[in-house]
Amino acid sequence: MKKTVLPALIVVALTALSFAGRAGDSDARVILIKNATIIPVVGDKIESGQLLIRDGKIAGLGQSLTAPADALIIDAAGQFVYPGFIDAYSHFGLSEISAIGSTSDVREMGKENPELRAAWAINPASVHFGTSRINGTTVALVAPSGGTFPGQSALVRMDGWTVAEMSVKDPATSLINFPMTPRPAGGEGGGARQESKVDVTSKLVDKIKEYLKEARRYLDLKKAAATDSKLKAPAINPKYEALAPVLDGSLPVIISVEKEKDIELAIKFVKDEKLKAIFRGCAQGFKVAQKIKDSGIPVILDSLYVGPTDPEDGYDAPFRNAAELVKAGVMICFSSGDDSTFGKDLPYHAARAVAYGLDHEEAVKALTINPARIFGVEARMGSLEAGKEADLFITTGDPLDARSEVKHLFIGGRHIDMKNYWDNLYEKYKDRPIK
Amino acid sequence: MKKKIILLALIGLLSAAGSLAAAPSATTRKSRTTETSELPVETRLLLKNGHIIPIAGENFDGDILIVGTKIARLGKNLSVEAGTEVIDLKGQWVMPGIIDSHSHIAIEGDVNEMGNLLTPEVDIRDVINPEDINIFYALTGGVTSIHTMHGSANPIGGRGIVLKLRWGADADGLIFEGAPRTVKWALGENPKQSNMGSAGKQRYPKTRMGVEESIRAEFEQAKDYMKSWDVYDRKVREAKTGKGSVPPLPPRKDYRLEVVANILRGKYWVRCHAYQAEEMASIMRLCKEYGVKLAAFEHGLEGYRITNELVDNKVAVSTFADFWAYKWEAYNTMPQSAALMVKRGVLVALNSDDAERMRRLNLDAAKTIRFGGLTELEALKTITINPAIILGVDKFTGTLEAGKDADIAVFNHHPLDPYTVCQMTLVDGKVYFDRAKYLDDRRKAEEAKAAEAAKPKEKKD
Repeated sequence: MKKTVLPALIVVALTALSFAGRAGDSDARVILIKNATIIPVVGDKIESGQLLIRDGKIAGLGQSLTAPADALIIDAAGQFVYPGFIDAYSHFGLSEISAIGSTSDVREMGKENPELRAAWAINPASVHFGTSRINGTTVALVAPSGGTFPGQSALVRMDGWTVAEMSVKDPATSLINFPMTPRPAGGEGGGARQESKVDVTSKLVDKIKEYLKEARRYLDLKKAAATDSKLKAPAINPKYEALAPVLDGSLPVIISVEKEKDIELAIKFVKDEKLKAIFRGCAQGFKVAQKIKDSGIPVILDSLYVGPTDPEDGYDAPFRNAAELVKAGVMICFSSGDDSTFGKDLPYHAARAVAYGLDHEEAVKALTINPARIFGVEARMGSLEAGKEADLFITTGDPLDARSEVKHLFIGGRHIDMKNYWDNLYEKYKDRPIK
Repeated sequence: MKKKIILLALIGLLSAAGSLAAAPSATTRKSRTTETSELPVETRLLLKNGHIIPIAGENFDGDILIVGTKIARLGKNLSVEAGTEVIDLKGQWVMPGIIDSHSHIAIEGDVNEMGNLLTPEVDIRDVINPEDINIFYALTGGVTSIHTMHGSANPIGGRGIVLKLRWGADADGLIFEGAPRTVKWALGENPKQSNMGSAGKQRYPKTRMGVEESIRAEFEQAKDYMKSWDVYDRKVREAKTGKGSVPPLPPRKDYRLEVVANILRGKYWVRCHAYQAEEMASIMRLCKEYGVKLAAFEHGLEGYRITNELVDNKVAVSTFADFWAYKWEAYNTMPQSAALMVKRGVLVALNSDDAERMRRLNLDAAKTIRFGGLTELEALKTITINPAIILGVDKFTGTLEAGKDADIAVFNHHPLDPYTVCQMTLVDGKVYFDRAKYLDDRRKAEEAKAAEAAKPKEKKD
């Protein structure tokens, strides 16, 4: 009996120590992760490597780093370090419980709302930030939806006291929902929708072009009036003002488009209007992969929890789409999509694409450096390189595998507490006495 | 097509009315033996060189011999007689066909009869749509049997049915012979019409109290109804022996109360849609009071809070791996819920409730390892033998054992591996999905299309 007491005491003491360590972790300015397999995404894999975080940035990585005296040390033996995942389209913080209107700020009334900014409505305390980052997501694009011009998205960190603190880039993009038959639904009869025989799409595209023309006319008139006192400046129109950076190509615009024919029309539209475009969805992208590649437009894939757009495409169309696009040379990235409650599944979508032909390395890029490049923040994040923000995680295995577990997550060098809404419930109810 | 469906529906309604007095097991209009005899009994198929996950018993590398529609033998290096068809699985993974215990596919039209509060008189069996492409999609995910159900609009909804995914068969040919019949109930926000906005009627019930009370009130009506028929039947019997006279009129036939009476007689397995722990607890008390067979809660997202009560009442939970927060009653849950219930002794099945999720139930099962710490075997049970038990078909399917139906799914990696792809699905020993063949057919079709496009256009008159 006595023999067992001592080890037990040591365990208790160690546990207390490690908890004390945890509590102080978020304040640690210098952290060394050691004995890890490091996958920098840009650059070669490092076995038994170290990665040093200093003041929120990656200070260095390699196989011969020594721990500074003040460093908190994390031994990641047998574990893997990856750059944080970037979820390229979500409604985190805009929708808590979709059925309850008072918890949803996703969709405004009206069709043309390019002036609306997601950042005005994001709730930093949404439980979905906490539950969606457990598989390694450190940054997400949060976008409003609905209408033709839903507004402007914000690129935010998955942690922060305020939206301003979370913000990586705001606005990150404008948004256009390209005219089309309804988006393919995942539910019963999903994908079996009839396409209209009449070409209504082109007419609706003309309407958008007309709207952009009006915005251009307004901006030109305003510019002219600024230098010519004889001209009367137009009354301020916030909608047209918001389109100014879109029209001059300084703000990218996400164009949601799914079907083969619509994608072709959208490519032409982008060219005609000289926009800096990102496509989102492209469910039938594999049918026009070369044309998308030639346009140079990158693609944000939607949740792969969908059926085929058209049964003729084959049951596996949503899964092989990614591989086909990459094969053609299109830059892709993944997103968890419209359901803010499923953020944790981001890497699982990538896994499904790998199962159906996408190279694993390409899948990881599509979760990290590709979205960073698409949103123009590749100098700050998207890979493990000295000087970049310390957005990264340590995991027990392949991060695309549902059976792996992220043990440590860093956002901007802050050691994030992985405890979330679910864990709190679990901790409480697992201890109910069994009769 | 549409005409045919309407006709079928009409016939269905009439036959439902006609068969109400009969026991619900009337679906066994074709006995299992006559059904199986449709395939030549001598059909012999050997699946060899597989990593076999029988669920019942240890995993092993070996073969499965199928004779007719049944698994005849499992083992290593099985010797077979001449004429046996052989499929070399080359080390692929073999598991029992996946069973989805909560689905709404293969139904013609809407799944909810919205016209009334209580609608057990309607029957999904009358509106089975064998041409639903989702049957094929389900097969591509290794699913071999489903329970397809009425929706959750009503405290007592319509009757459901268990199907085998014999893609290509007609409606009758899909029915899982020998499966007990079910009836759908629903508690909470859907029967309350909480999330319907202005489309929701101002009807009773609007509260959880009203939902439970509407079920209780119907039970009392059904008891009166049963009593009035008992009295009538007794008087008819007595009149035959010369005692008294036959009453001038029998009691009025009520098709709804006929079904409710059969629920009270325990002839239907109740599948009760519910989310909140306390309403599940109270409906268990109600079922106990009236002697109703409550087979399972559907969704049961707060079931992890009342595992003691679920175990005591022997009520299973057919739930999601992690679907949540789409409405208030689905908010107080976690992806660890299914695993926690399993560990605390509850019989748990992971279901789809959705044509798309149905195709990846194996991947949903994998989540229970990460969330809640189930073993691989426990995880796979939630999509095989557990739903089979919940549906009352465990003597036919759910494991790979000699004597059971040859319902089998083949995957190129372990079924819980994130990169696994279903390669082959067999129902009753017949291959209904073969990915290699599917890809080959697609390639041929594409080539033919390309050749057609390359041909110089001929003038058509």
